[in-house]
Amino acid sequence: MMNSKPTYKLTDKDFNQINRRSLFGFQLGWNYERMQNTGYLFLILPQLRKIYGDNTPELQEMMKTHVQFFNTSNFFNTIITGIDLAIEENEGVEGKDTVTGLKVGLMGPFAAIGDSIFAALIPTIFGALAASMASQGNPVGVFIWIAAQIAICFFRWKQLRFAYDKGVTLVTDMRDRLNALTDAATVLGVFMVGALVATMVNVKFAWVPQIGKVTMDIQNNLDMIIPKLLPALIVGFVYWLLGKKKMTSTKAILIVLVLSVILGGVGVLAKI
Amino acid sequence: MAWWQILLLTLYAGYEILDELQIYSSLNTPVGAGLIAGLIMGDLKTGLIIGGAMQLTVLGVGTFGGASKIDATTGTVLATAFSVSIKGMSPQVAISSIAVPVAAIMVQLDVLARFANTYFAHRIDHLIEENNYKGIERNFLYGAIPWALSRAIPVFIALAFGRGLVQTIANSLNGNLKWLGTGLTVAGAVLPAVGFAILLRYLPVKKHIAYLIMGFTFTTLFSVLFTSIQTLGTGLQAANKSFTATFNGLPMLAMALIGLAFAILHYKDEISGKGGSGKGGTKEATTTTESTNVASEGEITDDEL
Repeated sequence: MMNSKPTYKLTDKDFNQINRRSLFGFQLGWNYERMQNTGYLFLILPQLRKIYGDNTPELQEMMKTHVQFFNTSNFFNTIITGIDLAIEENEGVEGKDTVTGLKVGLMGPFAAIGDSIFAALIPTIFGALAASMASQGNPVGVFIWIAAQIAICFFRWKQLRFAYDKGVTLVTDMRDRLNALTDAATVLGVFMVGALVATMVNVKFAWVPQIGKVTMDIQNNLDMIIPKLLPALIVGFVYWLLGKKKMTSTKAILIVLVLSVILGGVGVLAKI
Repeated sequence: MAWWQILLLTLYAGYEILDELQIYSSLNTPVGAGLIAGLIMGDLKTGLIIGGAMQLTVLGVGTFGGASKIDATTGTVLATAFSVSIKGMSPQVAISSIAVPVAAIMVQLDVLARFANTYFAHRIDHLIEENNYKGIERNFLYGAIPWALSRAIPVFIALAFGRGLVQTIANSLNGNLKWLGTGLTVAGAVLPAVGFAILLRYLPVKKHIAYLIMGFTFTTLFSVLFTSIQTLGTGLQAANKSFTATFNGLPMLAMALIGLAFAILHYKDEISGKGGSGKGGTKEATTTTESTNVASEGEITDDEL
C-alpha cells in the first residue's frame, strides 16, 4: 500500500468527458434497487481507470464503492462528483471512507434542493408561461423554456470543475445563497399559481335554477363577489382532497376527472 | 394518419423519456410534446392546446407522492394524434378521454422500465469482478432500451391499431352519449386546477399567502378588464367597419414579470438581512463577499428567473 497515492492529475479533457456523460447518460441505468448507482460509476469510470490503473485491486475496490446506492438531483450530481474526484485524486483508495461519507451525506440535501428548483419552481414558472401561451396556439412560450433549459445545461457543465476546485467549502458557501434564491423563487412560484388560478381554469356555473318566477343566475352573483371565484373554490377543494390520507396525485387527477364529467354532463358546470 | 406520422410519433415517444432523464430540454414536457406532435400531425394549434392543458394538470406532480409520476407527455402525444386525425374528437374531449387515462396507465410501464434496469445493474456487479470496463459501460447504456421501449411500444400499438376504437368512442360521444362528451369537455377545462393544487401543497403557501392573494387578485382584475375590452372592440368592429383597432388578451408574461419583481425584492431582503443580523459578524460578511465572486450557482438561478 506504500505506492497507493495516485499520481494522475485530471485534465480539461477528463472534465469534458464526465460532463458529456452526465448530460447525456447519467440516469439511463436508473433502477429500483440502487437507483443511480451505475450512473455514478459510468460517469467517472474512465477517470478512475486513469487514477488507479487498469486491473488493479484498488480500481476494483473503488468501482465496488461507487455502485452502492446513490440518488440525488440529476441537476446537481456533478457537484458531488467534482468534490469526490478531488479527494480520490489526492488520497487514492485511502480516501474511500471520506468519499462514501461525502456521497451519502450530500446526496440527500442536493436531491431536496434540486427537486424544489428543477421539479417544482422551473416547471411552474416556465411551464405555466409556455402552457398559457400554448392554450392560445402560441408556441413562443415553449421556445422561452427551451432557452432557459439551455442556460441551465451550461451551468450544469460548469459546476463540475467548480466543485472540483472548491471542494467541500463550496457546499457551505452555496447554502445561504441557494436558500435565499429558492425562497425568492417560491415567491414567484406562489404568485404565478395565483395568476394561473385566475386565468387557466375556464369553467363557470351553467345551472340557472328557477325559484318561483325568479331565475337565479348563480354565475353572475359569484362574479359580483369577485370574478373567478369558482376556479379558486375548485383549486381549494383539490388542495383539501390532496391532504387526505393515501391520496396520490394520480388518484386526485382521476377523481377530479370523474366529478367534472358528472357535473358537466348534468349541466351544473360548463366550459367558458 | 400516414405511416410516417406513426413512425415519427413513435420515435419521439422513445426519445422523450431519455430527454427527460438527461438533458431535460423541455421538449420532453407535455407542452413540448404538444408542439412536436402538433407539428408532426400538421395541426400545431391542437397540439399546443392539449399540451398546454396537460402541462398545467401536472404542474407540481414531480414533487408529490414520489415514484408514481403520471406520464402526461405520452398522453399528450396520443391525444394530439387522435384529436387531429379523428373527426369529432375536439382537443378538450381528447384531453379528458385520451390524454389523462393514457397518462395514468403509463405509470405502470414506467415502473416496468425501472425494474428492467435492475437486471443491468446486476450484470454490472459481475462485470466489475471481471474488470471488464467496456462491458460495464455497454451494460449501463443498454439501460436506455427499456426506457425508450416503455414509451415507444405503447404509442406505436395505440396509433397503429387504436384508430377504430377511438373513432367509435368519438362517434358515440357526439351521438347518444352526448352528455358524456359535454362532461369530458368540462373536465378538460377543470383538470389544470389539480396541477395548481398539487403545487400549492408543495410550495410554502402559508408563508407566502400574501403573494398568492396578489397573484390571483391582480390577474383576475386584469383578465376581466382585458376580456371586456376585447369584447367591446369586437362589438364595435361589427357595428362600425371604420373601427380597426385590435385588442389582445392579457399577456401572462406581464403577470410573471410582476411576480419576478416581488421575488427580486424578497431575495434582496433576505441577502441583506443576513449581513445585518449580526448573527455571524465579520465571518458572515467575508463569506458573502467571497461567494459573490465565485458563486456560479447563484448566477444560474438569476438567469433562470
